[in-house]
Amino acid sequence: MTDDARGTQAVAELLGVHKRYGRVEALGGIDLEIQPGELVALLGPNGAGKTTAVSILLGQRRPDAGLARLFGRDPTLPAARRLVGVTLQESGFPDNLTVREVVDLVRVHYPHPAATPVLLERFGLSGVAGRRAGGLSGGQTRRLAVALAFAGRPQAVILDEPTTGLDVESRHRLWEVVRAFVADGGAVLLTTHYLEEAQALASRVVVIAGGQVIAQGSVDDITARTGLSRVHLQAPALPELPGVNHIEATNGSYTLYTADPDGLVRALTLKGVAFSGLRVERASLEEAFLHLTGGTS
Amino acid sequence: MRIALAHFKDQTLQHLRAPGYLLPTLAMPGLFYFLFEGQDNDVELVTFLMASFAMWAVLGVAFFQFGVGIAEERTTAWERFLRTLPLSAGQRLAGRVLSAALFAAVAAAVVIGLAHLINPVSVAADRWLPWILALGTGGVVMALGGIAIGYWASPRAATALATLAWLLLAYLGGLWEIPGELPSWAAEVSRYLPTRLWGEVTWAAVQGQATSLGDWLGLAAYAVGFAVLARWGYRRDEGASYR
Repeated sequence: MTDDARGTQAVAELLGVHKRYGRVEALGGIDLEIQPGELVALLGPNGAGKTTAVSILLGQRRPDAGLARLFGRDPTLPAARRLVGVTLQESGFPDNLTVREVVDLVRVHYPHPAATPVLLERFGLSGVAGRRAGGLSGGQTRRLAVALAFAGRPQAVILDEPTTGLDVESRHRLWEVVRAFVADGGAVLLTTHYLEEAQALASRVVVIAGGQVIAQGSVDDITARTGLSRVHLQAPALPELPGVNHIEATNGSYTLYTADPDGLVRALTLKGVAFSGLRVERASLEEAFLHLTGGTS
Repeated sequence: MRIALAHFKDQTLQHLRAPGYLLPTLAMPGLFYFLFEGQDNDVELVTFLMASFAMWAVLGVAFFQFGVGIAEERTTAWERFLRTLPLSAGQRLAGRVLSAALFAAVAAAVVIGLAHLINPVSVAADRWLPWILALGTGGVVMALGGIAIGYWASPRAATALATLAWLLLAYLGGLWEIPGELPSWAAEVSRYLPTRLWGEVTWAAVQGQATSLGDWLGLAAYAVGFAVLARWGYRRDEGASYR
């Protein structure tokens, strides 16, 4: 593991990390690196190893092999986590503390925390500051969990499915906060089920499946890498066609997924298919993602 | 230090707002002292029982704040979140121990204050310090037992287990009446219980008698046993949740 030659300190790194639970291999030698000012979306189906990767990065679990680093330090050391804010997938708070008390308790752990009223305002929690944290609604609970990630004015935040359970407005509001944070030079590692979210926020996407990184790059790279396009058309019937990934058909209306839309259209013409209403579109990240992980929608 | 104090405050506020915790620790020992013993002019007896019920009060803090508290917290999302903070296990424990020490002091003071109000209790001026030391030392041993409960009992079972242990160890240890008045089967068991050993050294301290080395050794053996169980349980929990 040599020093970073580019002279910038990686915010977070996993190097060849393996993790096994009994007979299940959760991570099979994963590499991940996050630089300042970067928003990395970690995508993958359930059980892909996303949460295990996050917990190793936060020093919650130790890798069986390989190395985890936060700002160049071992994440199992509490001091290494001083510059990082976290929202875990599940959130819950003590029943008997108020929202303000919970925020204040978390702030104490950081040298230069955000002001409590500012933080509460930014996440739409000012109105419930005096309420018991255990009695919040689902959306409020989630917003508080995300607010706590920013309580220590961190240089990096790790958000494990932060917007699950949020309504559309709260989700977009959170996106604004995240964008502003990144614009200020903050780094974000985001795991999400919402590909729309990765598409809206991520500067880089890392797709993992079966404990391996199977693709990474910008949102455009990933969609281009899979090279999938969607070809819509109407036709009475379709013959055998080359290079088609898969076909969705409803009442003579077809959607064909292909890496080579030009070749497909040539083949349709050559075979004399009486098609109409032809449209060719770039596949969305979601479709690219499903293609990569071999899942179905 | 600032962080440990914040966790002390957090623990203390949470417990102050939990009637299920305040009842057995702050209310019941004083109430039972009054109900069981009432008013009496036997100075020796009422002083002896004041010491006994003060131990029971401290035992409640040890079993409920450590036992039930740890069992209920350790599997929660909040606990997992706390572990992502720049917070060491030592700082967290320090906050919990400080808070429990405060509650134990108040719980014992409630019994001692009430006893002074209603009965002619008498503790010689030079016996207070040995008494408090004996009470506190035994309290630490019981807290280790509480931590063992916290890591071995499931969150659902912990309250029942802690309550049962708290009641049985009080009765069989001779904290509710003079140990000599226990039925013979109970007296037989009593000699080996940690609460009885704690009682022996505490009663001797209050009365200005010599404590027996055997009682201290017995208490020390329980301390080691509880500490081993607690550490084993802690490791097991770490392994299950954070390997």
